[in-house]
Amino acid sequence: MARYGMALDYKSCINCKACESACKEENGILLGADKHRIWVGVKDIEGIFPDLSISSSGFEPSQCQQCDNAPCQTVCPTNATYYDDNGVVRVNPEQCILCTYCMEACPYDARYIDDRTMTVDKCNFCSDTRLINGETTTACQATCPTKVRIFGDLDDPESEISLVLRARDHHSMKEHLGTKPKLFYLT
Amino acid sequence: MKTELSRRRFLQGTVALSIVGATAAATALAKTEHKSKSKIVDFGLTKTQWSDKLEEIPTLCEMCVNKCAAIARVEDGVLTKLNPNPLFPKSRNMLCARGNAGIQALEDPDRLKYPLIRVGERGEGKFKRVTWDEANEYIKDKMVKIIDEEKDNRSTIGYCAGEGMAEHTYASFMGDKIGSLNYVNHGSICLATTIAGYTLTLGGYGQADLENADYVIMAGANRAEAIVTPDTMDMFKRTKGRGLKMVVVDPRFTNTAAHADTWLPIEVGTDLAFVLAMTHVVMTEERYNKRFCEENLSDFEAYKKHIIDKNYTPEWAQAITGIKADDIRETARDFMAHAPRAIYYQGRRTAWSLQDYQLRRAQAIFSAMGGGIDKKGGIIFGKKLPLGEHSIPSPMYDNALERIEKSKAASIGNSGSWIAWRNTIIDGTAPYPVRAFFAYKQNPMLSIPNTAKTKQMLEKMDLVVVIDTMPSDTVMMADVVLPESLYLEREDPVKSFGGAEPSIALRIPVVEARYDTKPVIEIMRDLGEKLSKPLFEISKKYDESLQEEIEERGEKEVYKEEGYDLADGYRHSQETINHHMVSSVYGEEAWKTLREKGVFYPDMSKYFKKVSANEYEYYPEHKKSYSIIKGDLNNEPYHDTCVDINEIAVLKKKFRTATKKIACALYNFEKRKGVDAMPTWRSELYKETPEGRFKFITGRHGQFTQSGSSNNALLLDLLPENYLWINQRIADAKGIKFGDTVEVRSSIGAIEIKAYPTEKIGKNVVFFIHGFGAESSELTLAHHRGANDNAIIEDVYETTFGSAAMHETIVDIRRV
Repeated sequence: MARYGMALDYKSCINCKACESACKEENGILLGADKHRIWVGVKDIEGIFPDLSISSSGFEPSQCQQCDNAPCQTVCPTNATYYDDNGVVRVNPEQCILCTYCMEACPYDARYIDDRTMTVDKCNFCSDTRLINGETTTACQATCPTKVRIFGDLDDPESEISLVLRARDHHSMKEHLGTKPKLFYLT
Repeated sequence: MKTELSRRRFLQGTVALSIVGATAAATALAKTEHKSKSKIVDFGLTKTQWSDKLEEIPTLCEMCVNKCAAIARVEDGVLTKLNPNPLFPKSRNMLCARGNAGIQALEDPDRLKYPLIRVGERGEGKFKRVTWDEANEYIKDKMVKIIDEEKDNRSTIGYCAGEGMAEHTYASFMGDKIGSLNYVNHGSICLATTIAGYTLTLGGYGQADLENADYVIMAGANRAEAIVTPDTMDMFKRTKGRGLKMVVVDPRFTNTAAHADTWLPIEVGTDLAFVLAMTHVVMTEERYNKRFCEENLSDFEAYKKHIIDKNYTPEWAQAITGIKADDIRETARDFMAHAPRAIYYQGRRTAWSLQDYQLRRAQAIFSAMGGGIDKKGGIIFGKKLPLGEHSIPSPMYDNALERIEKSKAASIGNSGSWIAWRNTIIDGTAPYPVRAFFAYKQNPMLSIPNTAKTKQMLEKMDLVVVIDTMPSDTVMMADVVLPESLYLEREDPVKSFGGAEPSIALRIPVVEARYDTKPVIEIMRDLGEKLSKPLFEISKKYDESLQEEIEERGEKEVYKEEGYDLADGYRHSQETINHHMVSSVYGEEAWKTLREKGVFYPDMSKYFKKVSANEYEYYPEHKKSYSIIKGDLNNEPYHDTCVDINEIAVLKKKFRTATKKIACALYNFEKRKGVDAMPTWRSELYKETPEGRFKFITGRHGQFTQSGSSNNALLLDLLPENYLWINQRIADAKGIKFGDTVEVRSSIGAIEIKAYPTEKIGKNVVFFIHGFGAESSELTLAHHRGANDNAIIEDVYETTFGSAAMHETIVDIRRV
């Protein structure tokens, strides 16, 4: 069984938000600024005009970090949040009771309420829209103009993502929390 | 911070926009239903589980001008997703936020659905639904009266168009068939100066080969936010120490600047001084490619003398541009050290200043001095795959007079000077009246500087016809509205895309056209059927040449042979024409491939390779067309075994200019039209910003295409409105905080907009994005959202080509 992860060549990000819109269209997420599965974080630039520090600025594409040790799963009282066989952290809307513990527990601010399904939803690597149909990429990877994302099987040593992670330095977000994210930021 | 830092902060800034959510529910309805249907089966949607019929149809995007290749996923006739089509070299397997939001454009409940005729006062927005025949009958009656009264001067019919694949279909009907010379398009509010500057200097505008460049100066061009393919994708994978060194010259710290090695904030309108000073540096220090210049630049020594005599030193430029002399020196040296793989980026929307044309000339010559022209990693011209011909006879009208604003600039071409043209109509200096106005896919009420004057012009017309997909502010001023099918519903003229990796791509309908809409070719055909005979009768009355022809050859033959049947050429379907254009050159198999795959080029099946999930190869390296201009390698006088002569570009080439060389001086242009032969700084054309006031600049955005996407629910989700960028310390002094409403006032008008205080802009400049601020009440989401820049941008234009100078407006700011 595959174990899915994503590597992000985040230096290529231009904050164009193609990923955000592709995600919404692919996964049928309701419109509204508070309803999104992925986003681009912008670091505010330091300095005063004209002496700005370019290196202090930058774009950080983000989404559910698909933790191997997911705080949102641990606190879920109904097991609505669960690990899929392929390692993707998913949500079963039938079991979600909207207690929002997961929203509080997630250190990445990655969960949001889907008013239509009444679920505290999240990114699932397009499991039910693309992967199930045999597609090998997520909507965000496919659409990205500067090709920030590499999605793939971490357990396959020959997969593109495995090769990239072996060859290049990378870090994960808030590693000290022990959440073991499966999103890797390439440096 | 403010509008864009964290997700939570973002939410705070936008919660008030409940209207987005409300309409979203409506526009996303089709999708929502599918979702809930699929929920019964599984947690989410699966296309194969509920869709009886799944199709993947290739097409081309039209959410902006780039024409990226998309694959539409259509399930049971419903468009559910637009994905990138990897086969197209130009768009490199991507679809941006706007491309993805095409579904919302299709589903937009505010779309123009039926032909309309105005019933209230012009501009009041009251229309009645009519049939196409009624609409065309109305147009015919007015046209016959006007053209008869103007004694067959067809130029009394003015017309404009925005950029698009069917622009030519429309323009040739209005210009070649109906016979009016009064055409204005987007050129003079966009890229006229840079196209002209580069073409006159290098023989072509070319394409910046950013995939292979080692060094680029991006001045004012903001490729991270104003996406241009393939430039945007090629650049940003290699910035930040990954191969492409980038200097961004811009009064604002843009998302492009965030990728720069060096950001040089420049005083607005002084770029020419910057380039001249860099030219001075490399000339006095002899850092240019001497062999290339000697072989390929005409009047180079004269230009050198000019630059040195005028004393365009970095110190001189520092006082004007605000860029330190040492930074100018370093940039110039660095550029030449990386040449020929060094580019001064040509720029796209270059309607900036009164000196813009000379700026583009200076840039082109500066780039050429490094030898990076027609050269991998420099500015290349590439190849274009030819298409078959489709020609139709067009009548000659004796009485059609020259365009009205011809004398308002040194060289006004067939696509006109929008501002000069409009102003000529309203100031009464036109040699004859322009009495009717047709607009296609352009929204001059929002896109041309000085909205009040555009309104005045439209009010003067006896007939205003607008062809569009959305009820824009210009549609509100129309007498007759003709609804065009959306790009996802129609086939457009096949297009060949040149470059190092040329290809042909096709837009075909992915869903059936909704409502009572039509593609332009059919709109023209129907108008042609209606107008041909009555307009021919008018020509018979006034056109003496026609009268003679008829006497000689008979009316029937002249009518047919001379192209007076206005609908001929428009009766074939677009598909039939495209089929002919492609198969006549490349055969039936190519046509089949193009329709099935959306893209075709010779040997595509052999060359196209998937290298990785994110990388594709379109042509093998040796098949790419980087250097296409023929030249002689004259090796003898420069025998040098240390360098590869090909690499430093010493070929003597035959450029496509008048002299076959890169033109440093254009003496004829000076002699005939008084335009400076060589780029010269004209201080009388530069306006300094008075203390306490601001120069206003405008620009584009990656989630918004001018006013065209202003009602798109998904894009407004990402960018709800435009904000005024104002320097943080200036804002503090004025007591202006983030989100406060401020008034921006110029000599021609005032707008109100929310403030975004930031250190990313200087103290004497303010900025906001173009395209917001629609007045049309029929645009539910766009109506009164944000501010319209052209309500305050003064209607000044440079006098070489009549191109708008949009960054010459001084404004005052106050908190309201």
